[in-house]
Amino acid sequence: MSNFSDHLRIITGNTPPPIERLWAVMKFTPNDAQREAILHVNGPLYLTAGPGSGKTRVLLWRTLNLIVYHGVEPEKIFLSTFTEKAAKQLVDGLRALLGLVTNFTGQPYDLSGMYVGTVHSLCRRLLTDRRRFFADRHRPRPPALLDDLGQYFHLNSAWEQIVTFAGLHPLDAAEEINAIFNSQHPSLSRHRAIENLRRAFNRFSEELLDPKEIRARIDALSWGEFSHGDIELLLNLYEGYRKTLEDGLVTDFALLQQEAYQVLESFPGSGEVFEHIIVDEYQDTNTIQERIFFKLASGTKNLCVVGDDDQALYRFRGATVENFVQFPQRCQTYLGVEPRQITLNINYRSRSQIVNFYGRFMAQVDWHSDDGASTYRVDKEIHAHRSDALPAVVATAPSPPEVACQEIAVFVRRLLDEGKVENANQIAFLYPSLKSRQVERMKEALEAQGLQVYAPRAGRFLEVDEALDVFGIYLLIFGRPSLRGMGRDVEDFRQWLNTIEARAEQLRHADPRLAQFIHDRQAEVQRAHSDYATLLSVVSRHHWDLEAPYNIKRMKRALYNAPGLSETGKRLLASAYFDRIVQKRAQEGRPLSLNYAIRRATSLDWNFLDLFYRLMGFEHFKAMFDRAERFGDEGPVANLGLITQYLQRFTDERVSIITANLLENGKLSAIFFNSYLFALFRLGESEWENPEDPFPRGRIPFLTIHQAKGLEFPVVVLGNLYKRDRGAPQIERLIRPMLTRPDGEPLDRMTEFDIARMFYVALSRAQNLLILAHFRGPGQHVSPPFRPLLSDPSLPRLRDIDISTLPEARLRESEIPKVYSFTADYLLYKKCPRQYMIFRKFGFVPSRSQTMFFGSLVHRTLEDLHHELIRRRKLAANTHQEGEKRDA
Amino acid sequence: MPDRSDLPPIEDFIREVFEENFELLVAESGHTISAESKQAALNQVLLYWRKLREIAERVTDTEVHLTLPNQETPQGREYTIEGVVDIVREDDRVIMYDIKTHDADYVRANLELYKQQLNVYAHIWQELRQQPLDEMAVIATDFPHEVKEALSTPDPRALEMALAQWEPVIPIEYDPAHKDETIFAFSEVVDKIESGEFAPPSLEVLESFITGGWRRERFATRVCRNCDARFSCDAYRQYAMGRRRVAERGMVYFIEDDPDQEEWRTASLDASTED
Repeated sequence: MSNFSDHLRIITGNTPPPIERLWAVMKFTPNDAQREAILHVNGPLYLTAGPGSGKTRVLLWRTLNLIVYHGVEPEKIFLSTFTEKAAKQLVDGLRALLGLVTNFTGQPYDLSGMYVGTVHSLCRRLLTDRRRFFADRHRPRPPALLDDLGQYFHLNSAWEQIVTFAGLHPLDAAEEINAIFNSQHPSLSRHRAIENLRRAFNRFSEELLDPKEIRARIDALSWGEFSHGDIELLLNLYEGYRKTLEDGLVTDFALLQQEAYQVLESFPGSGEVFEHIIVDEYQDTNTIQERIFFKLASGTKNLCVVGDDDQALYRFRGATVENFVQFPQRCQTYLGVEPRQITLNINYRSRSQIVNFYGRFMAQVDWHSDDGASTYRVDKEIHAHRSDALPAVVATAPSPPEVACQEIAVFVRRLLDEGKVENANQIAFLYPSLKSRQVERMKEALEAQGLQVYAPRAGRFLEVDEALDVFGIYLLIFGRPSLRGMGRDVEDFRQWLNTIEARAEQLRHADPRLAQFIHDRQAEVQRAHSDYATLLSVVSRHHWDLEAPYNIKRMKRALYNAPGLSETGKRLLASAYFDRIVQKRAQEGRPLSLNYAIRRATSLDWNFLDLFYRLMGFEHFKAMFDRAERFGDEGPVANLGLITQYLQRFTDERVSIITANLLENGKLSAIFFNSYLFALFRLGESEWENPEDPFPRGRIPFLTIHQAKGLEFPVVVLGNLYKRDRGAPQIERLIRPMLTRPDGEPLDRMTEFDIARMFYVALSRAQNLLILAHFRGPGQHVSPPFRPLLSDPSLPRLRDIDISTLPEARLRESEIPKVYSFTADYLLYKKCPRQYMIFRKFGFVPSRSQTMFFGSLVHRTLEDLHHELIRRRKLAANTHQEGEKRDA
Repeated sequence: MPDRSDLPPIEDFIREVFEENFELLVAESGHTISAESKQAALNQVLLYWRKLREIAERVTDTEVHLTLPNQETPQGREYTIEGVVDIVREDDRVIMYDIKTHDADYVRANLELYKQQLNVYAHIWQELRQQPLDEMAVIATDFPHEVKEALSTPDPRALEMALAQWEPVIPIEYDPAHKDETIFAFSEVVDKIESGEFAPPSLEVLESFITGGWRRERFATRVCRNCDARFSCDAYRQYAMGRRRVAERGMVYFIEDDPDQEEWRTASLDASTED
């Protein structure tokens, strides 16, 4: 394609300035390794990038180099990122840079054809890309995708089918399944069984395991703690599960990737569709993803992988860090060539003491294989760009947790008071898990200093104050569901129901208007319920069939005149609009049933999401918005935004409109609380991680180390230096014998490695100051690699730190300037700043109003329409030309 | 356009890509919109095609991203301005269209804002990109009330008549004089967004009338009544109290005579699964 771009340059007479000139304009001075990586074009590239080494910038400029200086069309680039947010940042940045080039040359660039996003979204796109991946342009409709929560609900609703398929009896299936994973004390809980299966099924799919193939060699394999019967049963259940997915035209994340892989396998030119495959965060890819990437690169061999094995965090999602560590050998195997290796090892983020500290931390672990011949870690040494050598890593005095937490809290208070950070959200507390007593203690200590934290993922999200209050009021309106069953989860949930009820009662007491509001809603529920009974009695008196078509002439008057029917019920039945719809549907041959008419007449005017927005008008909630509007605390509003996402999902997937038939016998309350919220409650929040959370001003964020991946903070407090080594996860022991790919890290050492990597991620998030909570006392532990570092007498302690020597946290210029849209940002803000905050900044899901989603949907479809019209015009022109040639 | 039997009719094409885009957006954004909004979005595209087919078939460059990089705010933040337009190039003319999902009356009433915007785009197009430009216009795809009404009647002529009266193309005058002021105002907004200033517009703004259209409406009716967050909004509450609007005061919170309510009911019942 370079001919084409040369051609354009001749026409326009403008050639792009040398890339160095663009760097100068953008005030970017790449180091040697960065420059080398940016300018690398042909053949596989193995880019190992330490923390804070400017990786994103390199990716951005390298892509620009390909497009602008090597004539690669954007639609020939496949760029996979770890999150959608990262993808959006890259595209934004690329647009800004390409815009700069266009302003020099006049040549525009169209990025809409570029494949950029998470592996999941790219696989989805691939499966709908008729033009490029389906020879005959015909493709089956891709199945709907279940996310983690959707998969859970699917397993629950298809339970009977799946277990019966595998020859189990639905009544004792849960116990038998759980016994595979815990033969001593198998749980009876179906929830537990679903979770066990989900883990196994996803891993089977990610490893591309074929049940038939495994069965054929089952006797030849040794299974350790698992029996042949266990394996057989799991394989049967897996097949049953896949069958229910096929029947329901749905798929899950792992199988979606398998499907994409199969398309690539069967499509002859799949290795040449893209000229460049670029994969970020490669250390967190799994087997199926690796296969997809190598397949896509099989023709051009231009596969660039970027990552850091030390920051591999996602083994629990099937990621295998060996994909990255052994990339050179894999490249040989799949592509037959050696990759160029470039190491980005200059850290621009942290002060030098921090970089030294985490380097020494990793050196405490022996990464060599047992025979000493190879290593499980890519050799590297990170150097700090910032040269000051003053203390930047400090520990508390070794003391019991209460004391150490208090010492930290007092210090944090001083950091804020003395202006070393501008806002509380610049100090992050990181933990291996937020569900721990240490987190509680720290929170209390900070609160005692008058500091507020933001920890929506500490404990359950359903237990944050705003969730308790909102759902409590729902409970008052719809009634408390009766909860059957036993076990700890049920007991905890019952306790949660008690709590929300009590809190809602208090709110009702404190605000008479709210009390009246609740009362009115209850009355409406009651009204719908009694109208329903009234109308049904008319139906039975006339011996009408509920499923028969609704006949206005024959039925309307009798229903309307039913004794005791409320005014609302009459109004809904009498609606001229409704009559028109009835007639229209009858004409179309899809008549509406009598049952529909009755449900409609007894439906409420509001759904669960409408109710939420009305509730926000009461003082207790309104005050939260008032504060956030005027530079104040944003924590509560951020949480309320998350609640709308849960409510929206319920409205969308379960109850879009409240009809009276759902109000019978507390059915609705049972669906909402016992089925929907209880599932969320049990799954905890790890299943519902949202890496795009904004960190609200005025609050100190508490994050899991996983959530902190890719982020940086002026001050980081590592609140717990211990994670217990429980040995290899059970799923690894289950899966290992089935694998035919090269062995990964030894089962008896992988957890030691994983724990070290996790802490490494935490330590490397800090820019100016890293504070370690050094607990000592009965029951207190510290993970082994920390021990020698903590007993080093030269390690500074908090009490020795002179705060005045600390650098002030300044707004660090981000790697890529932000892009603001004229319409979606400027005009929206001009129209109403408050709307901007609620819907655009905090992602509230609206109930009735239009949003960005709406606009994007219309615009994307119009864009596709225009592209199609342009394509058809060209096609017609070609046909026309051919015709003329023939005639001549 | 020649008839090619192997190509699906355009309306089928629209429905199909609309559905794909919807699913992709759900996957990307993690949330969705109501069944009713979804239908309204599809209608906007379908009616755009019916009403503005002549323009649609002449578009030569679609979704052109115009960027103005290296901007700096008064508080020192670096950022880039971005806008998206469609271009029609014909033998002797180049026309720039900005497609908006707003309604034409709102655009006409706020013409100054749109004029500022398109003139910044024109600056990027002509001066930075050195491309010719002859005309500019906004296309407002949110169809007017009359079309909406006509959609829910069974009579196809009603829709035809309503479509004929709809004027969604609003020409914009070329006037680069205020370009720098606009960019400066943009920069100030970026600072406000980044520093967290989100107070709603004043009561005066809410009470002001938006001119034009099928009926004279206040800002509060046009903008706020369509905003789910109005119940907790100080400005809107002051407005509602002042207007003595019973429906919005006191205890009654659910509007009884909302013309959209019946439509909402239909779309929600169509989408309901739990029975």
